[in-house]
Amino acid sequence: MKALCWNGVRNLNVETVEDPKILNPRDALVKVTMSSVCGSDLHLINGFIPSMQAGDILGHEFIGEVVEVGPEVHQLTVGDRVVVVSVIGCGECSYCKEQLWSLCDNSNPHAVIQEKIFQYPTAGIFGYSHLFGGYAGSHAEYIRVPFADHGAFKIPEDIPDEQAVFVSDGVPTGYMAAEMAGIKPGDIVAVWGAGGVGQMAIQSAYHLGAERVIAIDGLDYRLAAAATHGHAEVLNYKDTNVLEALKEATGGRGPDCCIDAVGMEANSTGIEHYYDRTKQFFKLETDRPAVLRQAIAACRKGGTLSVVGVYAGFADKIPMGLFVNKALTMRGGQMHGQRYVPLLFDLIRKGKIDPAFMLTHPMPLRKGSEAYEIFNGRTDGCIRAVLMPQAS
Amino acid sequence: MNEKIVKNVGATERIVSVALGAYLLAKGLRRLNYRSVPTLMFSGYLFMRGGLGYCPISKRLGKKDVQTPAINIKAVMTVAKPREFVYNYWRRLSNLPAFMHHLQEVKELNERQSHWIAEVPGIGGKIEWDAEIVKDEPNERIGWRSIDGALIRNAGKVEFFDAPRQETEVRIIFSYHPPAGGIGTAAARLFHPIVKGIIENEAYNFKRVIEAGEIPTINGQPSGKRTGKIKLI
Repeated sequence: MKALCWNGVRNLNVETVEDPKILNPRDALVKVTMSSVCGSDLHLINGFIPSMQAGDILGHEFIGEVVEVGPEVHQLTVGDRVVVVSVIGCGECSYCKEQLWSLCDNSNPHAVIQEKIFQYPTAGIFGYSHLFGGYAGSHAEYIRVPFADHGAFKIPEDIPDEQAVFVSDGVPTGYMAAEMAGIKPGDIVAVWGAGGVGQMAIQSAYHLGAERVIAIDGLDYRLAAAATHGHAEVLNYKDTNVLEALKEATGGRGPDCCIDAVGMEANSTGIEHYYDRTKQFFKLETDRPAVLRQAIAACRKGGTLSVVGVYAGFADKIPMGLFVNKALTMRGGQMHGQRYVPLLFDLIRKGKIDPAFMLTHPMPLRKGSEAYEIFNGRTDGCIRAVLMPQAS
Repeated sequence: MNEKIVKNVGATERIVSVALGAYLLAKGLRRLNYRSVPTLMFSGYLFMRGGLGYCPISKRLGKKDVQTPAINIKAVMTVAKPREFVYNYWRRLSNLPAFMHHLQEVKELNERQSHWIAEVPGIGGKIEWDAEIVKDEPNERIGWRSIDGALIRNAGKVEFFDAPRQETEVRIIFSYHPPAGGIGTAAARLFHPIVKGIIENEAYNFKRVIEAGEIPTINGQPSGKRTGKIKLI
């Protein structure tokens, strides 16, 4: 089959590889019909997440059709149209049972190695480096789905592909960001990053009771989308002093909830940006936490920070003094997709959340490298490019 | 030197000493002049240190005599199953190869005795031995050890404790005595990190098998061309 492989920093190629096989009794094979690019892939492509190997197949946000099931798969049948959650959970360990699927004890084949860095191992993720299991990703014609009964959800007939594909990762990540922010009715929520996850966090925040949502980004077209589809107020950090503007917009209080949907490759302005770029280049810090710093500064006293942007390791100059003295709460996590999918189907059906507008660039798999160039370059109004491996 | 010669240099150190001694000897002889005298002297000292296993400098510094203690590998984990279930699974020692892949087979000969066949981790080759259960307290602990005559004397103990939410804390210790004598000890030292890594991983497999019913794997999945160095971290 054809698959989009990582061959080094900013070096992707479509290669012919072996077809996947069932390797464990709880595996299923899925014929991929749509596979989205994700902002978190850019950290892999740009070389900021360790433990990638040349030949790794990328992609973790996808839908498809079940073509084969292992002997211990009982909820799925061949022909089912499914969305597969990007994090892999066994469903039997105490974390999965507590609905904390991205913390699964048993789905990461490299748990013992990952444990040496994280102290406790986390779940495997499709196409997301060997630290997270080294599973082959979904930018391919077929994919093996471990623990398929828990990870693959049948898509209701009235939900079209262009909505369903984002239920794999983008929508649940945005929803969980809003949920972790602990939004109370009347709250003002600030969301940094108006990419796919940020857009979904905005819509979810309104659904969970936010009075106003303010989106912060450096790209006007993404802010326009946040305003149009998410009814967010918008701030472009490139021409606004964000801290002052947020203070101004909130009557001097600051936002009650701050969501970081940007993560480790945050861009900022002025000397701070060059400071982080330099430290990251020399591996003195793995993450550029400009958004996290700003969110800590911007948040109202006693407010909540919710971090879903991906961080890999270590970040410098985190203003802990502000965090402690302002009595903030901070939560973070990779999303626990399996917990949210049925709820999100429901919200999509009711029109409370609508991710379809994010699919700006449907492209065939053979153009995978080009798709990431457009997405990484933020050109041509791109929010998400989605690869269609069955299209020619 | 009127002190009794007691070995106070470990096996790995002895190998390193001889190797370094040989290197310096070659280096010193390549360009033989008055400047190579200290090099050759130091080389000789290293040969003596490696060959005899005795180092007067270490002795002065108060280094103790070398012993060959048992090598222990410990693992602790919490398993989302009741204590009785976990105990019963482990009590059937024939279940061990299901998660400890370096064990080819454990055949239970009777209630207490068993025959073990293992691949030597990291080296290949097979060893076999008989073992007996020396401690069996239902739902509490199981201990076993190899019966006299095993090439690699080994023993193991697993203990079970209640954890919150009806889960079970499992504490596992494997220990082995490498064959006595220089080469055996040296080999065991060299391979210990490999053996330790494998056994830790396999012990973790116990949790995977008993909870999820399978061990996650990517062996056999497709990939593009593996050009360049493969390094995990």
